[in-house]
Amino acid sequence: MRLVYPWLCELVKVPGDPESVATTLALRGFEVASIEHGRQPVIDFEITANRPDCLSTIGLAREASAAYGVPLRMPDRAMPAPGNGPSVDVAIEDADLCPRYCAQVFEVGIGTSPAWLQERLEAAGVRPINNVVDVTNYVMLEMGQPMHAFDLARLGGRALRIRRAKPGEKIRTLDGVERTLDGDMLVIADAARPQAVGGVMGGADSEIDAKTTSMVLESAYFTPASVRRTSKRLALKTEASTRFERGADVDAPPVGIARAAALLHQLGAARPVGRIVDRYPAPRPPVTLALRGARLTHVLGLQVPADDVPRILTPLGFTVSPSDRGGAGWQVEVPTYRVDVQREIDLVEEVARHYGYDRVPATFPALASPQAPPDARTLQDRLVRQVLTACGFSEATTFTFIEQQAAAPFADGAEPAALANPLSEKFAVLRPSLLPGLVDACAYNRRRERRDVRLFETGARFGPAGEARAVAFAWCGAGSVPNWSAATRPVDFFDVKGVVEALCGAMGATPAFEPATRSYLVPGRTAQVLDGSGDGARAIGVVGQIQPAILDARGFPAAEPIYAAELDLDALAALGAGDIQRAEPLPRFPAIVRDLSILVDDGLPAAAVRGTIRRAAPPTLVQLAEFDRYRGKGIPEGRVSLSLRLTFRSSERTLTDAEVDEAMTRVVAALEASHGAQRR
Amino acid sequence: MDIPQIKQQFDRELASAASEAAVRALRDKYLARKGGVASNLLRDVASAPAGERPALGKLANELKQYIDTQLTERLAAAAARRPAGETVDVTLPGRAPALGHRHPLTLLRERIEAIFLRFGFLIVEGPELEDDYHNFEALNMPADHPARDMQDTLYLASPVTSAVGSPATLLRTHTSGMQVRYMEKFPPPVRLIAPGRVYRRDDLDLTHSPMFTQVEGLVVDEGVTLADLKGTLFAFAHELFGPERRTRFRPSFFPYTEPSGELDISCASCRGAGCAMCKNTGWIEVLGSGMVHPAVFEAVGYDSEKYTGFAFGVGIERLALLKWGIEDIRLFYENDLRFLEQFPL
Repeated sequence: MRLVYPWLCELVKVPGDPESVATTLALRGFEVASIEHGRQPVIDFEITANRPDCLSTIGLAREASAAYGVPLRMPDRAMPAPGNGPSVDVAIEDADLCPRYCAQVFEVGIGTSPAWLQERLEAAGVRPINNVVDVTNYVMLEMGQPMHAFDLARLGGRALRIRRAKPGEKIRTLDGVERTLDGDMLVIADAARPQAVGGVMGGADSEIDAKTTSMVLESAYFTPASVRRTSKRLALKTEASTRFERGADVDAPPVGIARAAALLHQLGAARPVGRIVDRYPAPRPPVTLALRGARLTHVLGLQVPADDVPRILTPLGFTVSPSDRGGAGWQVEVPTYRVDVQREIDLVEEVARHYGYDRVPATFPALASPQAPPDARTLQDRLVRQVLTACGFSEATTFTFIEQQAAAPFADGAEPAALANPLSEKFAVLRPSLLPGLVDACAYNRRRERRDVRLFETGARFGPAGEARAVAFAWCGAGSVPNWSAATRPVDFFDVKGVVEALCGAMGATPAFEPATRSYLVPGRTAQVLDGSGDGARAIGVVGQIQPAILDARGFPAAEPIYAAELDLDALAALGAGDIQRAEPLPRFPAIVRDLSILVDDGLPAAAVRGTIRRAAPPTLVQLAEFDRYRGKGIPEGRVSLSLRLTFRSSERTLTDAEVDEAMTRVVAALEASHGAQRR
Repeated sequence: MDIPQIKQQFDRELASAASEAAVRALRDKYLARKGGVASNLLRDVASAPAGERPALGKLANELKQYIDTQLTERLAAAAARRPAGETVDVTLPGRAPALGHRHPLTLLRERIEAIFLRFGFLIVEGPELEDDYHNFEALNMPADHPARDMQDTLYLASPVTSAVGSPATLLRTHTSGMQVRYMEKFPPPVRLIAPGRVYRRDDLDLTHSPMFTQVEGLVVDEGVTLADLKGTLFAFAHELFGPERRTRFRPSFFPYTEPSGELDISCASCRGAGCAMCKNTGWIEVLGSGMVHPAVFEAVGYDSEKYTGFAFGVGIERLALLKWGIEDIRLFYENDLRFLEQFPL
């Protein structure tokens, strides 16, 4: 709302310059967007949705009046004596959408407005058109009551019907657009057809122009929800609809007509003819609320002096009388323009607002009992971040909604959940996985010549079962941090697998890996991650190399691999891990270490070899680690040399070489029997 | 030559021995079994008169001991300075371990969480997908309420199951829905923050994003006042921005709070004098808040006469822009490592 400062001063003699007024009202809930200096200084206020009354000069003047303790002087609203002649006939057929409708016929001489009026409108941000339209706009800016003028000669007859539109009925509005209406929209119609969309915009067919000699001036109250729906559905937001949808003053329609008539008379632009028509089938009784002094103190945490309550509320238009019912307090009658004041708490706010938030003390709420620990998910996320940043991954934040084409490959056949009203195709569907966002982030960095990228993200993903939490990470470029002393190698499967193992370990899971297929991962380089601590059946994630075709589609060089993994945080949380039961005592006896090199078939999984060794070895085998895998010179075609280190230790005694030798013999025999392994 | 003279001479020569080699030469000069000064001295003792011999012998021995100790110390110190094998160019860069950075929004979120944990708040998380009731209606925003325009909403094409298992129709526009869910489940007192992503139908530009991060707070108990809200917010602002920033609390409007208020801090770039950053007001808006509207308590079945409470919501992106002087909100979602790596570990 652009408040024209001299206009304000006409209504309230404010003892301050525009800056002072801006600050004073800002501290009472009217945020200042800007102050413009010039011949007509303007303060642009951001009016909150609850205060439609302040989308007017009088509304803000009333606030200034209460703030400065200076009286408000109302402009001339005396109706000039009407000439003789017929008025119009008004029938409200849908009073639920239009509770009140006033109309007045005028004889008019269309011309231009005087300079002072044009200047004021322009300062307020409204383009001057002609004297009649300018006056209706002026009254709207002054008192917040939108009005509309119909050219009487262009209406079909002298009767206005305030009714719902017939479904599919059409109207060409003032902006020249033909609009199709539906049965929930309110129209102002003549005998034949709609001439205005109630509270939103007039029709072009009955528009005032230079030839107009007789007009009907409309000043009405329309139901907020109805105007809001219509305005939204027609995608048509006007000065009028903005005010009506937030709630206009139900008592304002006749006052608006009178004020317009007085101004038109003053300009010599028009003269009322016949009686004012005021249709108000169900007048609303005034709203009276009780305000308890104790409640005021209870909510605000300070004692407002009793005298201050009427001192604050009266200039704002409230009628305040003391009341002793239920302790000291007041009966407060709410003015009709204060649509936001509906219960006691709203009066508490009015008092606090003008008493001054700056005078409210700053205290701290008492805490009676200790607080529960944070949400387990918050703590889990922190642990994940700790582990992954320590593994060299930086945290990404990618959008929850993504392109359909980016999402589809990761949805594993399902249809990603779509938004009904997305901002654009880029934000069309809920992400089925965190990986597409990370792939795009890798591509973004790669396009900026950043080749070595490690990124992770935690957050929600959306599958057929709905919303769930996940962590994902992606790694491209070098497998280690480059430095001057050695060449780097490219990242591979085992780098990301190692991170999965570290992360699962931190969360108390024992991951097991088995070959798997996913449409978005390269076959043969994909593993499903299972939790091996229980029955091993619960899938907790997937790890592998992203399909080059996907990379290509997302602008990442298809020849360079991105390895990635995604884990189900809800599933990991369900394992309920994160701490150890008790610390194991350190071993008291020495270990015996034996290295073993065998030749096996190239396709034999390492897990099979491990399993065989574990089964054949005694419980004193405490550690088993692969330390080399070699193919090539000296190794027969189709075979591979595996080297393993076996560590034996007993917690009860020192093992002898002989018993470890025997264990090794059993291990080798089992490997020969199960896998045709040859010891090298 | 008498003994004190020899000692003096040795001390002088040792002091002026600049190199390890010079020290070794001194050792030969004084302690060589044949012809060393100290060895000669001991031999001289043997030729001294018998009565003087024991005293002279003692002094000579002490001198030899002294010289030996001094030389040994000097040589040991020189050995410690000598490199063991090849030298390194210590100015070459070290081999950096791989260390990732938390996202700046996380960094700030965790700082805020830490402050409220100290204030005795519980941290709760809720679903990102919500239904109309929890996101709007229970918060005093019935259908067609004009305040819904303040939070233009992204809707789902068809219902999706939310993280709490309920059918959801929209992406939450704030985390207040979680507060409603909490109050539905637990009686007062309540003292919590609910951080998380929220969504609004705003085009992505320099200062707006359709997705951003919020931390919302809720305190409900008997006797909670607007003064408590003001005190809590001021304490938070001073913790986060520093005690030197001035704070201001002024009225505002939110449908789910009454009275409502916004917290401002004095502008850091102009120190309150007025500049482009603070739109010439000297103040920067930090967050919105207010006393919980009785209608919200009624919706969750709390006695609105007995209990009062306050709520607040702060946008982390906004704070991050202010705190780090970032001019483009999109940097938070582009994940450019050159940006992410600027923030402390």
